[in-house]
Amino acid sequence: MANFWKLVQNENMKIYRRLRTWIMLGIVVLIPLLFSTLAYFTSANHASSNWSVMTFESTITFILVTVFTVVISADSVAGEFTWGTVKLLLIRPWSRSSILLSKYLSLLLFGLFFSAVTFVVTFAVNVLFFGYNGSPSDLGPLWTTDPWSYIALYYLYQFISLVMVVTFSFMLSSAFRSGGLSIGLSIFLLLSGSIISGILAVTDKPWVKYVLFPHLSLTSYLDGNSPIPGHPTTLGFSLSVLAVYFILFNLVSWTVFRKRDITA
Amino acid sequence: MSQSPVVRLMDVSKRIGGRTIIDRVSLEVYPGEVFGFLGPNGSGKTTTIRLMVGLMALSAGDIQITGHSIKNEFPEAITQVGAIVENPEMYKFLTGYQNLLHYARMNPQVTKHRIDEVVELVGLNGRIHDKVRKYSLGMRQRLGVAQAVMHRPKLLVLDEPTNGLDPAGIRELRDYLRRLAADEGTAVFVSSHMLSEMELMCDRVAILQKGQIIDIRSIRTTSEDTARAAEQVAFEVDHPDAALGVLEGHGTGRVEDGALLVTADRSTVASINRRLVEAGINVYGIRVKSKSLEDQFLEVTAGETIG
Repeated sequence: MANFWKLVQNENMKIYRRLRTWIMLGIVVLIPLLFSTLAYFTSANHASSNWSVMTFESTITFILVTVFTVVISADSVAGEFTWGTVKLLLIRPWSRSSILLSKYLSLLLFGLFFSAVTFVVTFAVNVLFFGYNGSPSDLGPLWTTDPWSYIALYYLYQFISLVMVVTFSFMLSSAFRSGGLSIGLSIFLLLSGSIISGILAVTDKPWVKYVLFPHLSLTSYLDGNSPIPGHPTTLGFSLSVLAVYFILFNLVSWTVFRKRDITA
Repeated sequence: MSQSPVVRLMDVSKRIGGRTIIDRVSLEVYPGEVFGFLGPNGSGKTTTIRLMVGLMALSAGDIQITGHSIKNEFPEAITQVGAIVENPEMYKFLTGYQNLLHYARMNPQVTKHRIDEVVELVGLNGRIHDKVRKYSLGMRQRLGVAQAVMHRPKLLVLDEPTNGLDPAGIRELRDYLRRLAADEGTAVFVSSHMLSEMELMCDRVAILQKGQIIDIRSIRTTSEDTARAAEQVAFEVDHPDAALGVLEGHGTGRVEDGALLVTADRSTVASINRRLVEAGINVYGIRVKSKSLEDQFLEVTAGETIG
Protein backbone atom coordinates (compact mmCIF):
# COMPACT_ATOMS: atom_id res chain seq x y z
CA MET A 1 0.00 0.00 0.00
CA ALA A 2 2.98 2.27 0.59
CA ASN A 3 3.64 1.99 -3.11
CA PHE A 4 0.16 3.12 -4.03
CA TRP A 5 0.88 6.53 -2.51
CA LYS A 6 3.67 6.93 -5.02
CA LEU A 7 0.98 6.96 -7.70
CA VAL A 8 -0.84 9.72 -5.83
CA GLN A 9 2.52 11.48 -5.46
CA ASN A 10 2.88 11.31 -9.25
CA GLU A 11 -0.55 12.80 -9.81
CA ASN A 12 0.22 15.54 -7.31
CA MET A 13 3.45 16.31 -9.16
CA LYS A 14 1.48 16.68 -12.38
CA ILE A 15 -0.92 19.09 -10.64
CA TYR A 16 1.44 21.25 -8.59
CA ARG A 17 4.32 21.48 -11.06
CA ARG A 18 2.15 23.56 -13.32
CA LEU A 19 2.06 27.32 -13.12
CA ARG A 20 -1.71 27.48 -13.57
CA THR A 21 -2.30 25.68 -10.24
CA TRP A 22 -0.50 28.48 -8.42
CA ILE A 23 -2.38 31.14 -10.36
CA MET A 24 -5.62 29.45 -9.22
CA LEU A 25 -4.40 29.49 -5.63
CA GLY A 26 -3.52 33.18 -5.99
CA ILE A 27 -7.06 33.94 -7.18
CA VAL A 28 -8.60 31.99 -4.29
CA VAL A 29 -6.56 34.07 -1.85
CA LEU A 30 -7.20 37.34 -3.66
CA ILE A 31 -11.00 37.15 -4.00
CA PRO A 32 -11.80 37.29 -0.23
CA LEU A 33 -9.18 40.03 0.23
CA LEU A 34 -10.82 42.07 -2.50
CA PHE A 35 -14.38 41.65 -1.20
CA SER A 36 -13.40 42.40 2.39
CA THR A 37 -11.58 45.56 1.34
CA LEU A 38 -14.67 46.58 -0.60
CA ALA A 39 -16.96 45.79 2.35
CA TYR A 40 -14.68 47.70 4.72
CA PHE A 41 -14.69 50.92 2.73
CA THR A 42 -18.36 50.86 1.77
CA SER A 43 -19.92 49.96 5.13
CA ALA A 44 -20.91 52.60 7.66
CA ASN A 45 -18.14 53.25 10.24
CA HIS A 46 -16.12 50.46 8.60
CA ALA A 47 -18.16 48.01 10.63
CA SER A 48 -19.59 44.74 9.33
CA SER A 49 -20.17 41.37 10.88
CA ASN A 50 -17.10 39.19 10.27
CA TRP A 51 -19.46 36.18 10.05
CA SER A 52 -21.78 37.47 7.38
CA VAL A 53 -18.91 38.73 5.17
CA MET A 54 -17.13 35.41 5.65
CA THR A 55 -20.09 33.26 4.53
CA PHE A 56 -20.77 35.58 1.60
CA GLU A 57 -17.14 35.32 0.44
CA SER A 58 -17.06 31.58 1.08
CA THR A 59 -20.06 31.08 -1.21
CA ILE A 60 -18.39 32.96 -4.08
CA THR A 61 -14.96 31.42 -3.49
CA PHE A 62 -16.42 27.91 -3.27
CA ILE A 63 -17.85 28.27 -6.77
CA LEU A 64 -14.35 29.17 -7.94
CA VAL A 65 -12.73 26.31 -6.03
CA THR A 66 -15.23 23.90 -7.59
CA VAL A 67 -14.55 25.27 -11.07
CA PHE A 68 -10.79 24.99 -10.54
CA THR A 69 -11.07 21.42 -9.27
CA VAL A 70 -13.23 20.61 -12.30
CA VAL A 71 -10.55 22.04 -14.60
CA ILE A 72 -7.88 19.89 -12.95
CA SER A 73 -10.20 16.88 -13.00
CA ALA A 74 -11.02 17.33 -16.70
CA ASP A 75 -7.30 17.34 -17.50
CA SER A 76 -6.50 14.47 -15.19
CA VAL A 77 -7.77 11.74 -17.50
CA ALA A 78 -8.63 13.52 -20.75
CA GLY A 79 -5.28 15.34 -20.68
CA GLU A 80 -3.33 12.09 -20.64
CA PHE A 81 -5.19 11.08 -23.80
CA THR A 82 -4.67 14.45 -25.49
CA TRP A 83 -0.96 14.47 -24.62
CA GLY A 84 -0.57 10.80 -25.57
CA THR A 85 1.13 10.14 -22.23
CA VAL A 86 -1.56 7.62 -21.30
CA LYS A 87 0.31 5.07 -23.43
CA LEU A 88 3.34 5.29 -21.18
CA LEU A 89 1.29 5.57 -17.99
CA LEU A 90 -0.69 2.36 -18.50
CA ILE A 91 2.23 0.08 -19.40
CA ARG A 92 3.45 -0.14 -15.80
CA PRO A 93 2.84 -2.94 -13.31
CA TRP A 94 -0.34 -1.30 -12.01
CA SER A 95 -3.95 -2.04 -12.81
CA ARG A 96 -5.95 0.63 -14.57
CA SER A 97 -8.24 0.81 -11.55
CA SER A 98 -5.34 1.74 -9.27
CA ILE A 99 -4.18 4.43 -11.65
CA LEU A 100 -7.68 5.89 -11.91
CA LEU A 101 -8.07 5.78 -8.13
CA SER A 102 -4.78 7.64 -7.65
CA LYS A 103 -6.04 10.33 -10.02
CA TYR A 104 -9.37 10.60 -8.20
CA LEU A 105 -7.71 10.83 -4.79
CA SER A 106 -5.33 13.53 -5.97
CA LEU A 107 -8.36 15.55 -7.11
CA LEU A 108 -10.12 15.19 -3.78
CA LEU A 109 -6.91 16.27 -2.06
CA PHE A 110 -6.71 19.27 -4.36
CA GLY A 111 -10.32 20.20 -3.53
CA LEU A 112 -9.64 19.72 0.19
CA PHE A 113 -6.50 21.84 0.05
CA PHE A 114 -8.24 24.70 -1.76
CA SER A 115 -11.26 24.51 0.58
CA ALA A 116 -8.94 24.74 3.57
CA VAL A 117 -7.23 27.76 2.05
CA THR A 118 -10.64 29.35 1.46
CA PHE A 119 -11.60 28.75 5.06
CA VAL A 120 -8.38 30.15 6.53
CA VAL A 121 -8.31 33.20 4.26
CA THR A 122 -11.99 34.16 4.59
CA PHE A 123 -11.84 33.77 8.36
CA ALA A 124 -8.52 35.55 8.96
CA VAL A 125 -9.15 38.45 6.58
CA ASN A 126 -12.52 39.28 8.09
CA VAL A 127 -11.31 39.06 11.68
CA LEU A 128 -8.50 41.42 10.68
CA PHE A 129 -10.89 43.89 9.06
CA PHE A 130 -13.91 43.67 11.35
CA GLY A 131 -12.73 42.01 14.57
CA TYR A 132 -14.03 38.82 16.11
CA ASN A 133 -17.24 40.38 17.29
CA GLY A 134 -19.95 39.78 14.72
CA SER A 135 -23.18 38.38 16.07
CA PRO A 136 -23.60 34.65 15.33
CA SER A 137 -27.22 35.39 14.48
CA ASP A 138 -25.88 36.96 11.26
CA LEU A 139 -25.32 33.43 10.06
CA GLY A 140 -28.90 32.33 10.47
CA PRO A 141 -31.70 32.50 13.01
CA LEU A 142 -30.95 29.02 14.35
CA TRP A 143 -27.31 29.62 15.27
CA THR A 144 -27.26 32.36 17.86
CA THR A 145 -25.00 30.55 20.29
CA ASP A 146 -22.75 28.41 18.13
CA PRO A 147 -21.18 30.02 15.04
CA TRP A 148 -18.53 27.32 14.69
CA SER A 149 -21.03 24.51 14.20
CA TYR A 150 -22.63 26.54 11.44
CA ILE A 151 -19.29 27.25 9.73
CA ALA A 152 -18.19 23.63 10.03
CA LEU A 153 -21.45 22.29 8.57
CA TYR A 154 -21.44 25.00 5.91
CA TYR A 155 -17.98 23.94 4.71
CA LEU A 156 -18.86 20.26 4.94
CA TYR A 157 -21.99 20.68 2.79
CA GLN A 158 -20.14 22.82 0.27
CA PHE A 159 -17.37 20.23 0.09
CA ILE A 160 -19.89 17.43 -0.48
CA SER A 161 -21.37 19.27 -3.45
CA LEU A 162 -17.83 19.96 -4.73
CA VAL A 163 -17.10 16.23 -4.57
CA MET A 164 -20.30 15.54 -6.53
CA VAL A 165 -19.51 18.02 -9.29
CA VAL A 166 -15.90 16.83 -9.51
CA THR A 167 -16.98 13.18 -9.65
CA PHE A 168 -19.33 14.12 -12.48
CA SER A 169 -16.55 15.87 -14.41
CA PHE A 170 -14.16 12.99 -13.70
CA MET A 171 -16.69 10.61 -15.21
CA LEU A 172 -17.04 12.73 -18.35
CA SER A 173 -13.28 13.13 -18.58
CA SER A 174 -12.84 9.36 -18.37
CA ALA A 175 -15.76 8.47 -20.65
CA PHE A 176 -15.36 11.03 -23.40
CA ARG A 177 -11.66 11.85 -23.14
CA SER A 178 -12.62 15.44 -23.82
CA GLY A 179 -11.55 18.00 -21.26
CA GLY A 180 -13.66 20.77 -22.78
CA LEU A 181 -16.90 18.79 -22.68
CA SER A 182 -16.18 17.73 -19.12
CA ILE A 183 -15.53 21.30 -17.93
CA GLY A 184 -18.54 22.71 -19.77
CA LEU A 185 -21.11 20.21 -18.54
CA SER A 186 -19.79 20.29 -14.98
CA ILE A 187 -20.07 24.05 -14.79
CA PHE A 188 -23.58 23.72 -16.17
CA LEU A 189 -24.35 21.25 -13.38
CA LEU A 190 -22.86 23.61 -10.83
CA LEU A 191 -24.64 26.76 -11.94
CA SER A 192 -27.99 25.47 -13.17
CA GLY A 193 -28.96 23.98 -9.81
CA SER A 194 -31.00 26.95 -8.58
CA ILE A 195 -32.75 27.51 -11.93
CA ILE A 196 -33.71 23.86 -12.21
CA SER A 197 -34.86 23.80 -8.59
CA GLY A 198 -37.17 26.68 -9.44
CA ILE A 199 -38.67 24.80 -12.38
CA LEU A 200 -39.00 21.61 -10.37
CA ALA A 201 -40.69 23.46 -7.51
CA VAL A 202 -43.72 24.19 -9.67
CA THR A 203 -43.82 20.64 -11.04
CA ASP A 204 -46.20 18.53 -9.03
CA LYS A 205 -44.60 15.14 -9.66
CA PRO A 206 -43.13 12.79 -7.05
CA TRP A 207 -39.94 12.12 -9.04
CA VAL A 208 -38.65 15.69 -8.82
CA LYS A 209 -37.19 14.81 -5.43
CA TYR A 210 -34.79 12.38 -7.10
CA VAL A 211 -33.26 14.83 -9.55
CA LEU A 212 -29.61 15.52 -8.76
CA PHE A 213 -29.32 19.27 -9.29
CA PRO A 214 -31.23 20.72 -6.29
CA HIS A 215 -29.54 18.42 -3.79
CA LEU A 216 -26.21 20.10 -4.50
CA SER A 217 -27.36 23.07 -2.39
CA LEU A 218 -27.32 21.26 0.93
CA THR A 219 -26.67 24.54 2.72
CA SER A 220 -30.44 25.25 2.47
CA TYR A 221 -30.86 22.90 5.43
CA LEU A 222 -28.78 25.24 7.61
CA ASP A 223 -31.54 27.82 7.36
CA GLY A 224 -34.27 25.27 7.96
CA ASN A 225 -35.28 25.12 4.28
CA SER A 226 -35.13 22.23 1.85
CA PRO A 227 -33.37 22.32 -1.56
CA ILE A 228 -36.57 22.17 -3.63
CA PRO A 229 -39.09 24.76 -2.49
CA GLY A 230 -42.47 23.17 -1.97
CA HIS A 231 -41.06 19.65 -1.81
CA PRO A 232 -39.95 19.12 1.79
CA THR A 233 -37.04 16.69 2.12
CA THR A 234 -34.71 15.76 4.95
CA LEU A 235 -30.93 16.06 4.99
CA GLY A 236 -30.69 12.27 5.17
CA PHE A 237 -32.82 11.97 2.05
CA SER A 238 -30.66 14.44 0.13
CA LEU A 239 -27.49 12.61 1.18
CA SER A 240 -28.97 9.30 0.05
CA VAL A 241 -29.87 10.73 -3.37
CA LEU A 242 -26.35 12.13 -3.69
CA ALA A 243 -24.84 8.79 -2.65
CA VAL A 244 -26.73 6.98 -5.40
CA TYR A 245 -25.51 9.42 -8.05
CA PHE A 246 -21.99 9.27 -6.57
CA ILE A 247 -21.86 5.49 -6.95
CA LEU A 248 -23.36 5.68 -10.43
CA PHE A 249 -20.81 8.26 -11.67
CA ASN A 250 -17.88 6.30 -10.30
CA LEU A 251 -19.20 3.06 -11.71
CA VAL A 252 -19.26 4.63 -15.16
CA SER A 253 -15.75 6.13 -14.77
CA TRP A 254 -14.19 2.88 -13.67
CA THR A 255 -16.02 0.61 -16.09
CA VAL A 256 -15.21 2.74 -19.11
CA PHE A 257 -11.59 3.33 -18.15
CA ARG A 258 -10.87 -0.31 -17.40
CA LYS A 259 -12.35 -1.63 -20.63
CA ARG A 260 -11.27 0.99 -23.12
CA ASP A 261 -8.84 0.28 -25.95
CA ILE A 262 -6.18 2.97 -25.83
CA THR A 263 -5.85 4.41 -29.30
CA ALA A 264 -4.60 7.88 -28.38
CA MET B 1 16.72 -22.11 -30.71
CA SER B 2 16.66 -23.92 -27.43
CA GLN B 3 15.92 -20.90 -25.23
CA SER B 4 12.34 -20.10 -24.40
CA PRO B 5 11.03 -17.00 -26.11
CA VAL B 6 10.70 -13.72 -24.22
CA VAL B 7 7.52 -12.87 -26.03
CA ARG B 8 5.21 -15.23 -27.81
CA LEU B 9 2.25 -14.12 -29.91
CA MET B 10 -0.17 -17.00 -30.41
CA ASP B 11 -2.82 -16.61 -33.12
CA VAL B 12 -3.41 -13.03 -32.12
CA SER B 13 -6.43 -11.38 -33.71
CA LYS B 14 -8.00 -8.01 -33.24
CA ARG B 15 -11.36 -7.05 -34.64
CA ILE B 16 -12.80 -3.57 -34.39
CA GLY B 17 -16.38 -3.08 -35.46
CA GLY B 18 -16.50 -6.22 -37.60
CA ARG B 19 -13.25 -5.37 -39.37
CA THR B 20 -10.28 -7.63 -38.74
CA ILE B 21 -7.28 -5.41 -38.09
CA ILE B 22 -4.91 -8.15 -36.97
CA ASP B 23 -5.46 -11.63 -38.32
CA ARG B 24 -3.99 -14.66 -36.53
CA VAL B 25 -0.50 -13.25 -36.02
CA SER B 26 1.97 -15.65 -34.42
CA LEU B 27 5.61 -14.93 -33.73
CA GLU B 28 8.27 -15.41 -31.09
CA VAL B 29 11.17 -13.24 -30.06
CA TYR B 30 14.10 -14.79 -28.23
CA PRO B 31 16.54 -13.37 -25.66
CA GLY B 32 19.37 -11.41 -27.24
CA GLU B 33 17.56 -11.02 -30.53
CA VAL B 34 16.72 -7.81 -32.36
CA PHE B 35 13.47 -8.48 -34.16
CA GLY B 36 12.20 -6.14 -36.86
CA PHE B 37 8.54 -5.61 -37.62
CA LEU B 38 8.00 -4.30 -41.12
CA GLY B 39 4.92 -3.33 -42.98
CA PRO B 40 3.39 -0.61 -45.08
CA ASN B 41 1.38 2.13 -43.39
CA GLY B 42 -1.90 0.85 -42.04
CA SER B 43 -0.81 -2.79 -42.01
CA GLY B 44 -1.35 -3.06 -38.25
CA LYS B 45 2.16 -2.63 -36.81
CA THR B 46 1.17 -0.16 -34.12
CA THR B 47 -1.99 -2.10 -33.29
CA THR B 48 0.10 -5.24 -32.75
CA ILE B 49 2.38 -3.29 -30.43
CA ARG B 50 -0.62 -1.92 -28.51
CA LEU B 51 -1.86 -5.49 -28.07
CA MET B 52 1.58 -6.61 -26.88
CA VAL B 53 1.72 -3.99 -24.13
CA GLY B 54 -1.90 -4.39 -23.05
CA LEU B 55 -3.19 -1.03 -24.26
CA MET B 56 -5.75 -2.87 -26.37
CA ALA B 57 -7.66 -6.03 -25.57
CA LEU B 58 -7.16 -9.11 -27.75
CA SER B 59 -10.15 -10.40 -29.72
CA ALA B 60 -8.63 -13.87 -29.97
CA GLY B 61 -5.36 -15.66 -29.19
CA ASP B 62 -2.94 -14.81 -26.42
CA ILE B 63 0.34 -13.00 -25.86
CA GLN B 64 2.79 -14.31 -23.31
CA ILE B 65 5.71 -12.32 -21.98
CA THR B 66 8.23 -14.47 -20.12
CA GLY B 67 5.42 -16.99 -19.83
CA HIS B 68 2.88 -14.56 -18.33
CA SER B 69 -0.29 -13.84 -20.25
CA ILE B 70 -0.86 -10.14 -20.93
CA LYS B 71 -4.58 -10.82 -20.53
CA ASN B 72 -4.68 -12.63 -17.22
CA GLU B 73 -1.40 -11.70 -15.53
CA PHE B 74 -0.96 -8.12 -16.68
CA PRO B 75 1.28 -6.78 -13.87
CA GLU B 76 3.65 -9.80 -14.04
CA ALA B 77 3.84 -9.60 -17.82
CA ILE B 78 4.16 -5.85 -18.24
CA THR B 79 6.84 -5.45 -15.59
CA GLN B 80 9.19 -7.24 -18.03
CA VAL B 81 8.42 -4.76 -20.81
CA GLY B 82 9.83 -1.36 -21.68
CA ALA B 83 8.21 0.41 -24.57
CA ILE B 84 7.72 3.47 -26.69
CA VAL B 85 4.39 3.38 -28.52
CA GLU B 86 4.35 5.72 -31.50
CA ASN B 87 5.92 9.00 -30.48
CA PRO B 88 7.70 9.36 -27.16
CA GLU B 89 5.10 11.66 -25.62
CA MET B 90 6.15 13.14 -22.31
CA TYR B 91 4.69 15.62 -19.84
CA LYS B 92 5.89 18.83 -21.47
CA PHE B 93 5.40 20.94 -18.35
CA LEU B 94 7.74 18.71 -16.35
CA THR B 95 11.51 18.47 -16.70
CA GLY B 96 13.10 15.42 -18.28
CA TYR B 97 14.18 14.29 -14.84
CA GLN B 98 10.69 14.66 -13.37
CA ASN B 99 9.30 12.60 -16.24
CA LEU B 100 11.74 9.81 -15.44
CA LEU B 101 11.00 10.12 -11.73
CA HIS B 102 7.31 9.74 -12.55
CA TYR B 103 7.86 6.36 -14.24
CA ALA B 104 10.50 5.30 -11.70
CA ARG B 105 7.98 5.68 -8.88
CA MET B 106 5.71 3.20 -10.61
CA ASN B 107 8.36 0.50 -10.57
CA PRO B 108 9.85 -0.52 -7.22
CA GLN B 109 13.13 -1.77 -8.73
CA VAL B 110 14.18 1.61 -10.07
CA THR B 111 16.41 3.58 -7.71
CA LYS B 112 17.50 7.23 -7.96
CA HIS B 113 20.93 5.94 -8.86
CA ARG B 114 19.47 4.01 -11.78
CA ILE B 115 17.76 7.16 -13.07
CA ASP B 116 21.14 8.97 -13.14
CA GLU B 117 22.61 5.96 -14.89
CA VAL B 118 20.09 5.95 -17.75
CA VAL B 119 20.31 9.73 -18.12
CA GLU B 120 24.06 9.29 -18.63
CA LEU B 121 23.43 6.38 -20.97
CA VAL B 122 21.18 8.32 -23.36
CA GLY B 123 23.42 11.36 -23.15
CA LEU B 124 20.94 13.84 -21.69
CA ASN B 125 23.08 14.84 -18.69
CA GLY B 126 23.33 18.52 -19.61
CA ARG B 127 19.64 19.06 -20.33
CA ILE B 128 17.82 16.67 -18.01
CA HIS B 129 16.61 19.45 -15.70
CA ASP B 130 15.14 21.48 -18.57
CA LYS B 131 11.42 21.36 -19.28
CA VAL B 132 10.56 18.77 -21.94
CA ARG B 133 8.75 21.58 -23.80
CA LYS B 134 12.20 22.85 -24.80
CA TYR B 135 13.44 19.49 -26.09
CA SER B 136 13.96 18.64 -29.74
CA LEU B 137 12.28 15.53 -31.16
CA GLY B 138 15.61 13.72 -30.98
CA MET B 139 16.01 14.57 -27.30
CA ARG B 140 12.50 13.40 -26.56
CA GLN B 141 13.29 10.16 -28.38
CA ARG B 142 16.31 9.72 -26.08
CA LEU B 143 14.14 10.43 -23.03
CA GLY B 144 11.70 7.85 -24.37
CA VAL B 145 14.46 5.26 -24.58
CA ALA B 146 15.55 6.18 -21.04
CA GLN B 147 12.10 5.51 -19.56
CA ALA B 148 11.82 2.29 -21.56
CA VAL B 149 15.10 0.73 -20.36
CA MET B 150 15.08 2.16 -16.84
CA HIS B 151 13.72 -0.99 -15.14
CA ARG B 152 15.96 -3.35 -17.17
CA PRO B 153 13.11 -5.01 -19.06
CA LYS B 154 13.54 -8.40 -20.71
CA LEU B 155 11.57 -7.15 -23.70
CA LEU B 156 12.08 -3.75 -25.25
CA VAL B 157 9.37 -2.65 -27.70
CA LEU B 158 10.15 0.35 -29.85
CA ASP B 159 7.74 1.79 -32.39
CA GLU B 160 9.58 3.70 -35.13
CA PRO B 161 12.50 4.51 -32.83
CA THR B 162 14.61 6.28 -35.44
CA ASN B 163 11.93 8.91 -36.04
CA GLY B 164 13.41 12.34 -35.53
CA LEU B 165 16.94 11.16 -34.95
CA ASP B 166 19.81 12.50 -37.05
CA PRO B 167 22.16 10.01 -38.76
CA ALA B 168 24.57 10.09 -35.82
CA GLY B 169 21.69 9.52 -33.42
CA ILE B 170 20.37 6.61 -35.49
CA ARG B 171 23.78 4.98 -35.51
CA GLU B 172 24.14 5.48 -31.77
CA LEU B 173 20.71 3.94 -31.13
CA ARG B 174 21.46 1.00 -33.41
CA ASP B 175 24.75 0.31 -31.62
CA TYR B 176 23.04 0.66 -28.27
CA LEU B 177 20.23 -1.76 -29.14
CA ARG B 178 22.65 -4.33 -30.51
CA ARG B 179 24.77 -4.01 -27.36
CA LEU B 180 21.69 -4.32 -25.14
CA ALA B 181 20.69 -7.50 -26.94
CA ALA B 182 24.19 -8.97 -26.88
CA ASP B 183 25.27 -7.99 -23.35
CA GLU B 184 22.07 -8.14 -21.35
CA GLY B 185 20.19 -10.66 -23.46
CA THR B 186 17.30 -8.26 -23.93
CA ALA B 187 14.83 -9.15 -26.66
CA VAL B 188 14.32 -6.05 -28.79
CA PHE B 189 11.20 -5.68 -30.91
CA VAL B 190 11.42 -2.76 -33.35
CA SER B 191 8.86 -1.59 -35.85
CA SER B 192 9.96 0.66 -38.65
CA HIS B 193 9.37 1.69 -42.20
CA MET B 194 13.08 2.54 -42.60
CA LEU B 195 13.96 -0.68 -44.38
CA SER B 196 17.66 -0.07 -44.81
CA GLU B 197 17.83 0.83 -41.14
CA MET B 198 16.15 -2.43 -40.17
CA GLU B 199 18.59 -4.33 -42.31
CA LEU B 200 21.48 -2.99 -40.25
CA MET B 201 19.74 -3.35 -36.91
CA CYS B 202 17.84 -6.62 -36.90
CA ASP B 203 18.58 -10.33 -36.74
CA ARG B 204 15.17 -11.32 -38.05
CA VAL B 205 12.27 -9.46 -39.58
CA ALA B 206 8.60 -10.17 -39.94
CA ILE B 207 6.69 -8.57 -42.76
CA LEU B 208 3.13 -7.63 -41.96
CA GLN B 209 0.53 -6.83 -44.55
CA LYS B 210 -3.17 -6.17 -44.02
CA GLY B 211 -2.89 -7.56 -40.51
CA GLN B 212 -1.30 -10.83 -41.56
CA ILE B 213 2.29 -11.95 -41.33
CA ILE B 214 3.36 -12.87 -44.83
CA ASP B 215 7.00 -13.63 -44.14
CA ILE B 216 9.49 -14.04 -41.31
CA ARG B 217 13.12 -14.22 -42.37
CA SER B 218 16.64 -13.95 -41.03
CA ILE B 219 18.69 -10.95 -42.06
CA ARG B 220 22.09 -11.92 -40.82
CA THR B 221 23.27 -14.81 -42.92
CA THR B 222 26.52 -16.48 -41.97
CA SER B 223 29.50 -16.41 -44.35
CA GLU B 224 28.98 -20.14 -44.90
CA ASP B 225 25.51 -19.46 -46.22
CA THR B 226 26.90 -16.82 -48.50
CA ALA B 227 29.41 -19.28 -49.97
CA ARG B 228 26.73 -21.76 -50.86
CA ALA B 229 23.94 -19.54 -52.00
CA ALA B 230 23.64 -18.66 -55.67
CA GLU B 231 23.38 -14.97 -56.19
CA GLN B 232 23.05 -12.66 -59.09
CA VAL B 233 26.50 -11.47 -60.15
CA ALA B 234 27.36 -8.73 -62.61
CA PHE B 235 30.55 -9.02 -64.69
CA GLU B 236 31.74 -5.71 -66.05
CA VAL B 237 33.46 -6.59 -69.33
CA ASP B 238 34.54 -4.86 -72.54
CA HIS B 239 32.52 -7.10 -74.90
CA PRO B 240 29.38 -8.28 -73.08
CA ASP B 241 27.92 -10.07 -76.10
CA ALA B 242 31.12 -12.01 -76.74
CA ALA B 243 31.21 -12.84 -73.06
CA LEU B 244 27.70 -14.27 -73.27
CA GLY B 245 28.97 -16.59 -76.01
CA VAL B 246 31.87 -17.77 -73.85
CA LEU B 247 29.43 -18.55 -71.10
CA GLU B 248 27.40 -20.91 -73.25
CA GLY B 249 27.24 -24.34 -71.75
CA HIS B 250 28.27 -23.09 -68.32
CA GLY B 251 25.09 -21.47 -67.19
CA THR B 252 22.65 -18.91 -68.42
CA GLY B 253 23.19 -15.23 -68.36
CA ARG B 254 21.99 -12.06 -69.98
CA VAL B 255 23.33 -8.68 -70.89
CA GLU B 256 22.04 -5.68 -69.05
CA ASP B 257 23.42 -2.13 -69.02
CA GLY B 258 26.59 -3.28 -70.75
CA ALA B 259 27.33 -5.90 -68.13
CA LEU B 260 26.93 -9.67 -68.08
CA LEU B 261 24.48 -10.89 -65.45
CA VAL B 262 24.79 -14.45 -64.21
CA THR B 263 23.20 -16.31 -61.34
CA ALA B 264 25.97 -18.33 -59.72
CA ASP B 265 27.56 -19.36 -56.42
CA ARG B 266 31.08 -18.37 -55.39
CA SER B 267 33.10 -21.14 -57.07
CA THR B 268 31.17 -20.79 -60.31
CA VAL B 269 31.89 -17.05 -60.31
CA ALA B 270 35.61 -17.82 -60.13
CA SER B 271 35.49 -20.34 -62.98
CA ILE B 272 33.42 -18.00 -65.19
CA ASN B 273 36.01 -15.32 -64.58
CA ARG B 274 38.82 -17.68 -65.60
CA ARG B 275 36.99 -18.59 -68.85
CA LEU B 276 36.38 -14.96 -69.71
CA VAL B 277 40.04 -14.08 -69.21
CA GLU B 278 41.19 -17.12 -71.18
CA ALA B 279 38.88 -16.04 -74.04
CA GLY B 280 40.66 -12.69 -74.11
CA ILE B 281 37.84 -10.65 -72.62
CA ASN B 282 38.82 -7.88 -70.22
CA VAL B 283 37.04 -8.13 -66.90
CA TYR B 284 36.92 -4.74 -65.14
CA GLY B 285 34.83 -5.72 -62.16
CA ILE B 286 32.70 -8.39 -60.56
CA ARG B 287 29.84 -7.27 -58.31
CA VAL B 288 27.36 -9.32 -56.32
CA LYS B 289 23.96 -7.78 -56.91
CA SER B 290 22.47 -8.85 -53.60
CA LYS B 291 18.95 -7.81 -53.03
CA SER B 292 18.46 -5.23 -50.32
CA LEU B 293 15.75 -5.74 -47.79
CA GLU B 294 13.89 -3.00 -49.57
CA ASP B 295 13.84 -5.01 -52.82
CA GLN B 296 12.71 -8.07 -50.94
CA PHE B 297 10.07 -6.11 -49.09
CA LEU B 298 8.68 -4.56 -52.25
CA GLU B 299 8.78 -7.94 -53.93
CA VAL B 300 6.80 -9.60 -51.16
CA THR B 301 4.24 -6.84 -50.89
CA ALA B 302 4.22 -6.22 -54.63
CA GLY B 303 1.13 -5.08 -56.44
CA GLU B 304 -0.68 -4.21 -53.24
CA THR B 305 -2.09 -0.77 -52.83
CA ILE B 306 -1.85 0.81 -49.43
CA GLY B 307 -5.10 1.56 -47.77
